Amino acid sequence: MRNRHIVLTLAVLSCMGTSAQRVTSLKKVDVTATRRLKDTGVQQTVLDSAALHDNISLSMADILTKHTTLFVKSYGRATESTAEFRGTSPSHTQVTWNGMHINSPMLGTVDFSTLPSFFIDKVQLLHGASSILMAGGGLGGGIALQTAPGRTETNEAQLVQGIGQYSTFDEFARLTLTGRKWQSNTRLSYSTSQNDFSYINPDKKVDVRDEEGHIVGSYHPKERNKSGYFTDIHAMQEAYYNDRQGNRVSVASWYSHLLRGLPFLSVDYKDDSDFSNECGQHTLRTVADWQHTAARWSSRLRAGHSWQRIAYDYTTTRQQAQTDITHSRSIAQQAFVEGEGMLMPHPRWQIEAQMQVGYSHVRSSDYSPFHQGDNYNRGRMEYALGTQARWRPVKRMGVALALRQEVYGPEWVPTIPALFADYLLVENWQLVCKASIARNCRYPTMDDLYFEPGGNSSLKPEKGFTYDGGIEWKRQWTAFTFGGQFTAFDSHITDWILWTPNVKGFWQPGNVKRVHNYGVESMLHGEMVLPRGWKADATANYAYTPSINKGQPTDDNDQSYGRQLCYVPRHSANLTVTIGWKQWTLASGWMFYSRRHTTTSNEVDYITGSLEPYHRVDLSLEKKWQWKRAAASIKGQVNNLLDNHYMTVLSRPMAGRNYAVYLSVTPQWK
Amino acid sequence: MHIHSRFCVTLSVACGLLAACSDSEGSVPEEDFTHEGRGVYILNEGNYNSGNSTLSYYDPEKQTIENGIFQRANDRKLGDTGQSMTLFGNTLFIAMENSGIVWAIDPRTSRVKGSLTTGQTEQMINPRYVHIVNSGKAYITDLYAPYITIFNPTTFTYTGSIPTGQAITYGYSSTEKMVEWKNRVFTNCWSYNNKILVIDTRTDEVTDSILLDSWQPKDMQIDARGKLWVITDGGYNTEHEGFGDNIPHLYRIDAETLAIEQDQPLDADNASVAMALSNDGHTLYLINNDIYRMDVTDSHLPVRPFIKAPTDANGTRHKLYGISVDPASGDLYVADAVDYSQAGTMYRYKADGTLIHKFRVGINPNGCAFIP
Repeated sequence: MRNRHIVLTLAVLSCMGTSAQRVTSLKKVDVTATRRLKDTGVQQTVLDSAALHDNISLSMADILTKHTTLFVKSYGRATESTAEFRGTSPSHTQVTWNGMHINSPMLGTVDFSTLPSFFIDKVQLLHGASSILMAGGGLGGGIALQTAPGRTETNEAQLVQGIGQYSTFDEFARLTLTGRKWQSNTRLSYSTSQNDFSYINPDKKVDVRDEEGHIVGSYHPKERNKSGYFTDIHAMQEAYYNDRQGNRVSVASWYSHLLRGLPFLSVDYKDDSDFSNECGQHTLRTVADWQHTAARWSSRLRAGHSWQRIAYDYTTTRQQAQTDITHSRSIAQQAFVEGEGMLMPHPRWQIEAQMQVGYSHVRSSDYSPFHQGDNYNRGRMEYALGTQARWRPVKRMGVALALRQEVYGPEWVPTIPALFADYLLVENWQLVCKASIARNCRYPTMDDLYFEPGGNSSLKPEKGFTYDGGIEWKRQWTAFTFGGQFTAFDSHITDWILWTPNVKGFWQPGNVKRVHNYGVESMLHGEMVLPRGWKADATANYAYTPSINKGQPTDDNDQSYGRQLCYVPRHSANLTVTIGWKQWTLASGWMFYSRRHTTTSNEVDYITGSLEPYHRVDLSLEKKWQWKRAAASIKGQVNNLLDNHYMTVLSRPMAGRNYAVYLSVTPQWK
Repeated sequence: MHIHSRFCVTLSVACGLLAACSDSEGSVPEEDFTHEGRGVYILNEGNYNSGNSTLSYYDPEKQTIENGIFQRANDRKLGDTGQSMTLFGNTLFIAMENSGIVWAIDPRTSRVKGSLTTGQTEQMINPRYVHIVNSGKAYITDLYAPYITIFNPTTFTYTGSIPTGQAITYGYSSTEKMVEWKNRVFTNCWSYNNKILVIDTRTDEVTDSILLDSWQPKDMQIDARGKLWVITDGGYNTEHEGFGDNIPHLYRIDAETLAIEQDQPLDADNASVAMALSNDGHTLYLINNDIYRMDVTDSHLPVRPFIKAPTDANGTRHKLYGISVDPASGDLYVADAVDYSQAGTMYRYKADGTLIHKFRVGINPNGCAFIP
């Protein structure tokens, strides 16, 4: 392993050692934003490559934690991380990659820790009703992940080497070849870590005994994170073609292999040398896209396929022969074809329609004694038809109506309607008020319906009703920009699908919950360009998300009615501040989550009934160099600067203060 | 002040303030408890893989409850998935299945006296039940290991293991509850199984087994006459696959001859099944949706329940999760796990079925240990 780090470092240094240093100053350009008819009433957050390509060790889970109001439930780096909008569940967040659904057909969720942010160029978060424009079933919202051709007109390569604590190595390489009408982009990454950080374990205590065996003292032991190791490999190839006559064609294919240990609980007394608990997954996703854009109309055709194989093994070698405690295998495949057309018969009118046909198939196997073979092996067709009409009756006002119909297998989901409106209140502040209202439905996943044991084939789709309203603004002066968003929302979800344990010892899903989510989401952003090369940038997000169970109580001992859902914080906030001086950049990120309850009844006096509020500060300092034919940077990063001990999930400790260094070089040539 | 210095000062102050207001997960001060008179420990198994199992202590005279008492007395968590408790003199053993530890605590103070972890043994993986053979020997059954661990319950030291002869490939080799008759310990193989193993306590060997028609024997009792009562949960069956037929059965087996003397199917309405025996070994209590009581000489379970499971205003019947009998008073303690994700409820009934007290404990209460 050491050799590959040396080779990459030498390559980096050889590229850096040539041209003289040159600082390029770009002339500031004022941009006047035009309100797109397509965005009428849409509540969205857009993250661009500046945030996404901050450092190679970041996954999409880290990005969403740092830059959005979503709650990311994470077990640590490279361990399962899910994201929730507006106090809903992770399966209520619909996610696409280049237009293809990537929510697991088995679980309905996306593990954002498996998506390195360096492989994504743009992220669009569609909050609440706005997610209907992307997909149905996003009762909380939707996330569109996109790759895009680079803006460079030269050939370019990028090499990044990251070295961090806990034997963590991240390597990334990107090669961009550009022609007049085409571009090829190749990205590779390889990350490995033991991830065996040390922590004082508050959940255990070591007793000190005297010679007679009496306990004379005790202390909380210093332990390491057991079985947190991972190896993560990604390879992506993109090809773009633009005939400069309105036709654009692209193909992107992304392979990844992740092998990760599943960390032991803080209350586990087993030795990780005797037990192996790991998950390996291979994923291959491919999407082809053709777009034609004319003055008053556009059309698009997309097709894609994804294949994922997941192996989960929990074994011990303690016995004379190896014992497989868990030995499961699953293969999930999805394919889709989508056609889309947009017509603007008048500059104030826009009509759009999409039709998607998809197929999902899951083969889930469990090699425990009585499941030798398939535990279920099912496929189903999925259809979606959507249409939107947008109208701007006056310059300041826009309204849009969307309808969506989805079918899974032979089951029709109730029609999903949505209405959007916005109004430009103050032109030079670009102050716009927005509102939307929608009904939404999410149909059961394959596991919900068919998993053996427990699957419930009589499950109904979850139904949501949501409305929101808010304002957004952006004011630009010569050297200063100030913008923000404020949205209040209210939504009701019925027939919430929840898995609960049954008397036989396994879990079963049912349509049991009725949940009321409401609250606010807000964002403030400011940028400043100062004399002598100084610049500053700050973004703050805050969300208040009560998520209240209004379902039928299990019985009259049930005290969960009117209580906050488990693991949903009422308050979440983050702040990123970046200060730049010439080629130096100091960046800090702060994030905060309020108390999260771990029981449905929210008992605070119950000893394991909640997780303490926590905040975390990260800090980095970066120096860049720019030469005629290359750029380079070195960055030092401190994570969890204040060394806070915190858990986002019960009995799952997170790493304390830790350090990393990143070296990047970007040669360019014609 | 130079802008760099001002920035550094501001950053330092901000960091200091943030550090000062940090609320990290941490320890709790140890509390001193001295339990006098009779008492009841209630084990709340918590949720699998959450590490939120807890211990409650109930004073039946004062009708007071102390929840989370293990952590409060010892400043450490009880662990993940508390499975069972066994009282031996002045030591209470608590088997924490998914933590791989058996705690030994002083029942009068709730303080830890010792423990046995997987690392201190050769075969233990997920400990389920502890059975005391004598002051120098005790057995621990296991969900996964095809071995029963032997340890000294006085010194809490590992002494050996008994191979169960169960298949060790692919997963479970579960052994569960243990009951003793003369020199035989019987243990039921619950997970994906339908066997009762017989262990000779003189040689520490599996000497025999009893095969049942119904799958997943879940609970066992041995009455005063040496009759082994076994209740199964019937396994799992759907149109696609399964083992068993979903129908719980109640068996009576002669502990001497190992002959099955009675076999009766029970209510299959998604029922939890559990059993308890009166202190004199003559009355059997059984949960099968409702609570049934029968004399051990009866030929079948009565048609009418002894205590109907509580129902709420909407007619929803509470799902009862565990049952225990106080050997001193004969009082019944019945657990209601509610939604499996919040504090459960314990019902305490007199031996005649009159409700005495109802109180909230921890998540998924599954059993009691009675301190004389």
